[in-house]
Amino acid sequence: MAAKLPKLTLWRAITAIIFMVGAYAAYLRFFIGWQASTNLTDAQPWGLWVGFGTLCGVGLSAGGFGLAGAVYLLGMERYRPILRASILLSFLGYSTVCTGMLYELGLPWRIWHPLIYWNGHSVLFDVSMCVMAYTSVLALEFSPSLIEKLPWKAARDFYLHWHHKVLIALVLAGVLLSSMHQSFLGGLFLIAKGKVYPLWYSPYLTTMFYLSAIPAGIAMLIVALYLCVRSLNVRIEYSILEELSRVMGIMLGVYGIFRAIDLWRNHALQYLFTRRIETAYFWLEIMLLVIIPVALLSQSKIRNTPRALYWTCATVVMGFMANRLNVSITAIDATTGANYSPKWPELALTLAVVTAAAVAFRLAVIHLDILPKNEPKSARWIMNSAEPAEA
Amino acid sequence: MEKKAILVDIKRCVGCQSCEQACQRVHGFPEQHQAHLSDTALTVVEQHGEKFVRRMCLHCEDPACASACLVGALKKSSFGPVTYDAKKCMGCRYCMIACPQAVPKYEWSKLAPYVKKCDMCAERQAAGEKPACVEACPLDASTVGNREDILKEAWSRVRSDSSYVPRVYGVEEFGGTSVFYISDVAFEELGFVKPALGSQPLPTLSAAALGETPTVVLVGGSMLAALYWITQRRRDVALAESHTAQPKQTEKIDEGRS
Ligand code: SF4
Ligand code: SF4
Repeated sequence: MAAKLPKLTLWRAITAIIFMVGAYAAYLRFFIGWQASTNLTDAQPWGLWVGFGTLCGVGLSAGGFGLAGAVYLLGMERYRPILRASILLSFLGYSTVCTGMLYELGLPWRIWHPLIYWNGHSVLFDVSMCVMAYTSVLALEFSPSLIEKLPWKAARDFYLHWHHKVLIALVLAGVLLSSMHQSFLGGLFLIAKGKVYPLWYSPYLTTMFYLSAIPAGIAMLIVALYLCVRSLNVRIEYSILEELSRVMGIMLGVYGIFRAIDLWRNHALQYLFTRRIETAYFWLEIMLLVIIPVALLSQSKIRNTPRALYWTCATVVMGFMANRLNVSITAIDATTGANYSPKWPELALTLAVVTAAAVAFRLAVIHLDILPKNEPKSARWIMNSAEPAEA
Repeated sequence: MEKKAILVDIKRCVGCQSCEQACQRVHGFPEQHQAHLSDTALTVVEQHGEKFVRRMCLHCEDPACASACLVGALKKSSFGPVTYDAKKCMGCRYCMIACPQAVPKYEWSKLAPYVKKCDMCAERQAAGEKPACVEACPLDASTVGNREDILKEAWSRVRSDSSYVPRVYGVEEFGGTSVFYISDVAFEELGFVKPALGSQPLPTLSAAALGETPTVVLVGGSMLAALYWITQRRRDVALAESHTAQPKQTEKIDEGRS
């Protein structure tokens, strides 16, 4: 362990710097103004914060509902050991989105307005309601991990008993809510037809967003779990990850097929080879999100090598980000000529919030019973179903 | 009040910018000509070759901006104007994404920024006055009136003078608007936006997606519940078969799985 110390301090130093720069960027955003902190313009009013913070943040948090659905609704008990980790990851993802929302909104202290001023015709209204509701559901789904650490047995038992009773309803609501808003995020751009470059506009944007969110959520989960195993004292049965990655590969393939049919039906195939920067961005996205990972995941050798699988999943995550950024930035820039690229405080703030989530995840895995720990522990009074996994 | 509309006659406009200045005066903005719409220029006179085109919000009949706004800060009033309620707005800027004309502008220089767009002087009109820009126009290139009368006027000008393009912009576009344009030069050459959906309003696109929500919730919800029930039942059966079951035991095992 002693050998690891210098490495740890280096990481701590980097984290501290990220937070400090992020704090300065936050100061710029809230006290100096938009122009000092962003490159947003009237032509591109949504930039990195919406494109990355919200669209990617929510999308990459899709693992939680996928796994909760698989375990509780489909009875796939073998995934249970990683269920808590995936719910935690989603919860932190959504918390990140909510924090990011404070930068994105021009009048952040009115973030609660959708609760009282309703416009049911607005896709964004539905998104905001779903995200609020689902963040609460995730908090409740995750709560036992915290509650079981409480020293008062009576309170603990009471809570856990009550929690168990409503759990299935929660999971059900969660799966529905997240399916809805994952697709509505794509639906946001339906109304902007004419402003979204044809390679990305589709009447089925909702379906596309939904189909890509689940595999991307799984990829993110595998990335996080791999990092946990590498750097923390936990263990995960590798066959679970292998199995998940197979499912993910199939989902990505399905997504790719849908995407191709969709491009053809929207008469967008002609744009596939036009000499424009958008074409390059499109191919980058498709390579990272579909072609490379599907090719790699079809080989059992890759799936069965943790390191290779990790990098494949990282590719999927990057491809997914490329997709969301393309829809929200590239596709709109192409028609409005906004020529947007983020200013450094936009990047710094995003990085700081993501880092905070990563630190929180790490701390939770270390201090709570999120993943099976390595040393054999004395019997715990909950999670008796999470059989210690074989390494 | 009856439905109002504004008619802009591009043939008559000489580009004097009186409308711009009047608008800026009413809003307390600095009186200066700007090349494009901005948060301190809610109408601008753009030059296209020899021609001058006054840009402003078209006050669509079924406005994309209003359908997008999640808190309903943007609204189509019964008498025509699409108004903005600053008290509700939360600054998400979705209206700006939604508007096909890129009309709503944002106060990027402020720490508490609001959306700025023409509201057809709704308050003045409610008090029986004309919109400031129309009132200021020395050549009647802008006129206001009841929507029906204004449309009649537009068509009669177009029909009685063959130099006009035989078209009234705003009748069909975006599902109809409350600002009409007539011109003696093709609209395409004057930088007018070609509606992505022709005469269909943009909000129909999201309405189609949102309309499916209740079905998805009902069908999806019951399917998930059914799945859960099947899963649960299978587990119970398996348990009952493996241990010659006492129901109590089943319960205990289940309780552990939280
Ligand atoms: S032109 Fe744009 S801002 Fe004006 S009413 Fe139509 S959608 Fe709204
Ligand atoms: S910026 Fe304001 S007016 Fe525009 S959609 Fe958002 S809340 Fe509505």
